[in-house]
Amino acid sequence: MSHLTDLPPWAALLVCGLMLVGAATTLIGSLGLLRLPDFYARLHAPTIATSGGTILLCLASILCFAVLQSRWVFHEVLIIFFVTVTTPVTLMLLGQATLYRDRFEEQQGVPRKQKPAPGEE
Amino acid sequence: MTRPASVLAGPKSRPPIHSQGDKTIEYAEKLLSVFILVPFAGSLIAIFFPSDQRGAISWFAGAIALVCFLVTAGLYPYVASGGVLHYRIDWVPELGLNFTLRMDGFAWLFSALITAIGVLVALYARYYMAEEDPVPRFFALFLAFMGSMLGVVLSGNLILLAVFWELTSIVSFLLIGYWHHNAHARDGARMALTITGTGGLAMFVGLIIIGKIVGSYELDAVLASGDAIRNHPLYGTVLVLVLLGALTKSAQFPFHFWLPHAMAAPTPVSAYLHSATMVKAGVFLLVRFWPVMAGTEAWFWIVGLAGLTTLLLGAYFAIFQQDLKGLLAYSTISHLGLITVLLSLGSPLAAVAAVFHIVNHATFKASLFMAAGIIDHESGTRDIRRLGGLFHFMPITATLAMVASAAMAGVPLLNGFLSKEMFFAEAIETHLVNPLDTVTPYVATIAGMFAVTYSLRFIHGVFFGRPPADLPRKPHEPPRWMRAPLDFLVLACLVVGIIPAQTIGPFLHTAVLSVLREGTPDYSLSVWHGWNIPLIMSFVALSGGIGLYFLMRSYLATAVEGPPVFRLLQGQRIFERVLVTLSWKWARWLEQRLGTRRLQPQMRLLVFLALAAGASPLLLGNFELPPLVIRGIDPAFALLWAIGIACAIGSAYQAKFHRLASLVLLGGAGLVTCITFVWLSAPDLAVTQLLVEIVTTVLILLGLRWLPKRIEEPVAAEDISIRVRLRRLRDLLLAIGAGGGMMLIAYTVMTRPLPETIASYFLERAYREGGGTNVVNVILVDFRGFDTLGEIAVLCIVALTVFALLLRFRPQSDSLEAPEQQKVQNAFDDDHPDRAAGDSVAEYLFIPAVIMRWMFPVTGMLAAFLFLRGHDLPGGGFAAGIAMSIGFILQYMSGGTRWVEERLRIHPLRWMSIGLLVATATGVGSWFFGYPFLTSHAQYASLPVVGKFPLASAILFDLGVFSLVLGATVLILIALAHQSVRAPRAHAKAARSDKEAVR
Repeated sequence: MSHLTDLPPWAALLVCGLMLVGAATTLIGSLGLLRLPDFYARLHAPTIATSGGTILLCLASILCFAVLQSRWVFHEVLIIFFVTVTTPVTLMLLGQATLYRDRFEEQQGVPRKQKPAPGEE
Repeated sequence: MTRPASVLAGPKSRPPIHSQGDKTIEYAEKLLSVFILVPFAGSLIAIFFPSDQRGAISWFAGAIALVCFLVTAGLYPYVASGGVLHYRIDWVPELGLNFTLRMDGFAWLFSALITAIGVLVALYARYYMAEEDPVPRFFALFLAFMGSMLGVVLSGNLILLAVFWELTSIVSFLLIGYWHHNAHARDGARMALTITGTGGLAMFVGLIIIGKIVGSYELDAVLASGDAIRNHPLYGTVLVLVLLGALTKSAQFPFHFWLPHAMAAPTPVSAYLHSATMVKAGVFLLVRFWPVMAGTEAWFWIVGLAGLTTLLLGAYFAIFQQDLKGLLAYSTISHLGLITVLLSLGSPLAAVAAVFHIVNHATFKASLFMAAGIIDHESGTRDIRRLGGLFHFMPITATLAMVASAAMAGVPLLNGFLSKEMFFAEAIETHLVNPLDTVTPYVATIAGMFAVTYSLRFIHGVFFGRPPADLPRKPHEPPRWMRAPLDFLVLACLVVGIIPAQTIGPFLHTAVLSVLREGTPDYSLSVWHGWNIPLIMSFVALSGGIGLYFLMRSYLATAVEGPPVFRLLQGQRIFERVLVTLSWKWARWLEQRLGTRRLQPQMRLLVFLALAAGASPLLLGNFELPPLVIRGIDPAFALLWAIGIACAIGSAYQAKFHRLASLVLLGGAGLVTCITFVWLSAPDLAVTQLLVEIVTTVLILLGLRWLPKRIEEPVAAEDISIRVRLRRLRDLLLAIGAGGGMMLIAYTVMTRPLPETIASYFLERAYREGGGTNVVNVILVDFRGFDTLGEIAVLCIVALTVFALLLRFRPQSDSLEAPEQQKVQNAFDDDHPDRAAGDSVAEYLFIPAVIMRWMFPVTGMLAAFLFLRGHDLPGGGFAAGIAMSIGFILQYMSGGTRWVEERLRIHPLRWMSIGLLVATATGVGSWFFGYPFLTSHAQYASLPVVGKFPLASAILFDLGVFSLVLGATVLILIALAHQSVRAPRAHAKAARSDKEAVR
């Protein structure tokens, strides 16, 4: 493996840009988790962090190591795939659980459950 | 790995056959392993016989015994005139643990006895066992016993001897309890095991001390250092311990009472174990160690007193037995006492007589037991009071039994007479001037008289007198082949009795020569020695015994079981009283004092003991704390640890009322640990830690549901009593102490400069010898593969234990009900006719569940990836196994137990056993290539697409690890999952029955 200094300038610039934007996106997502007013809104913030931030960071990684070793790197593709597929599951579970509880406790401002359309089941 | 034959044999014991070349000797020595391998292998095979094949299996067992007998016979030339055969496999030579078999003349005589009587008993048992008895179990145990008994007599290593010794006790236990539906059999079996097992344990300690005195556990070395043992300050201890083993096994007073109770065993077992072979193991041991331990005052007193008491009491008790087998059992005890007395005397001639009597007793007592079995089998009872006049119904059996019991009584022209004459002759000799020696001849004569009485009672009470009227069955002669063993043994009694010098003479001489070596005395085996005192004593005993019988006949015909007066003092009662006191009263008392059913005190005790054990060596051995150095702190790392510490403390703080929060915080602390590993460049640990963290969190989460609810009662701070405060303070201090101690240890270890470690060794050789660049994995599966094998075995045991505990787990009544949410959902589903139960939750979980299901193959791929790269890069079987189990956990979470088990084959027990087998088989496999256990072979293989990957034979071992870890995790998972399925069902059932009761 070659050293990082072997990276050509154009690639270095690109990698840096991707990294910075990715990190910023993640930071914004985290801030959102902290700042947004209610639970449902807060659920969306980490999604930005994971989907956006992770993809950008992984792209940076792919670019960097592809140029350095002059071959394509697939690990990051898998990572992107897994993270984008699995994070929503967690958030969906959390969201559904909250929705269920709020409906059960008949909280204000919670969407009512629609009647399942006939033939849908 | 057998050693050259002539190394140990020594110039003196070199047999003449040596001139034929060492080749035959080597061959003969290899044959010794047959004695162990064949019976045990046969035992394994016998289990798999169908139970209705009585004939086939007894032929099989008989054939195995016959093979062993023929091998014994074939080896005779090698041991005749003092030769010794050795067969040795080094096991842990550094500790003196070797698998050494050693056959000398005495061991040969015993082997011949064991195998020959084994053949006869197998034949006899074929007719004795009933249709409905589980015969395969009987013959499997029979063969296992033969193997262990041969092991006892052929052991050339003290430790091996102790192992086989205990094996005979265990097999004997199983054989006595063969009819385990019978309470007598169970009690008798337990008693025999307790007594002989305890004795065996004592003997084991004694043997270890002998080994320490001599400096070797090899029997040859021990036999050569008699003086060292006798003059050692620990001689007394050794003597008592070894004698405890020998005397309990040979049912000597005061441990004699187990033998009559062992008569609940099937008669072939009594004939084989409890007359001819196993009870002889005790006297075998006495003879074995006779050259190195006998001849001292202590030996004379302990052995002599036990022997004389047993001889007299056994014979006396035998007269009053109403059960045929009981009579024979007490007679056996008495005869074993006779042998013990002979061995106590310390004279070589007495030792000759002892060995001779061992053989004689085995022949006539085995045949008498078989006769008793025939009588029981054909007439339906063994009660002497009910029997009588059987001579008319079974004349041949009666004649045979009469000859055998005449041998037991010591009638001239039979083998029992010869050894008894020798005994009498020895009894009148003066060996040491003390009162015990003076009374010996009188006791001997009286015991001889009793022997005549009970033998006469056996003959007269059973075969003569009025024919019985109310027998359960009409008696008749047994089948021809059932009687054949009896014919043979009685013939042996006669032949040996009439022409001893030509028949048993040479074999006896070989046996005696191997025990006494240079000290072998001149003795004569002729029937007629002229008119001398022993002969007069014999006549006194004969006539006195006959007189005594006719005096007591009318009393005996109606008396209850057992001798007068002594009847009240029953060994069994005392034994049970002691057992109850020990194992119930005292144990209960201790449990009440020390035990608790609550978890918290147990944990407190455990932590406290661990703390004390860890701290004491440090405090005692002036331990110096390394100076506290703070330098080069990385702020990011410090922040990470601050988070970890906060998580850990928060977890402890929340543990009481908010278990879920506590668990989440615990997971946070685990993640910090994981990141620490990455930070410190330990990717292997990080991967494993992460996976383990996930799995444990999920499993504990599943378990949380079943913990009893905690009622949170708001208690004002001032209401808490001072006791509670003190208790909390103590627990806090204990926790801080334990945690701080761990921290100190870690700190000390990490701040010390590393000594010359083996790390560099492993780093250097991991690739060259293990064929992997991931040193951690190479160490686990190759260099320290044996440790890993042990560890996964432990993991297997732990998983099974958790499974067993959860299987019997009955939750608290307050957590038994379904959770509120589930009830509400189910009620909603029930109220709507177009919905099935569980629809609500399925709707809510629909999308996540689908994605989680899709993750299963992906997780599988991840596991395969971790597994395959394990040898060179972080990963390996352990990590892969846990990763795969996460896949299963996801399935259970998304689909529910029933859904998963309808679709996937979940057999965690099978996976675990396959894993253990594969791992072990890989290790064993290297034997076939001539390498030591678990030697690894490495090379690279390539697959299309995947590319080149390392394929060491260690990968198979790793596969075993993978399978076992997967099985263990999934086993615990399904134990919890099934609890959720089972509990609501049980609860619903209980509710329903309550409702019905109300109606």
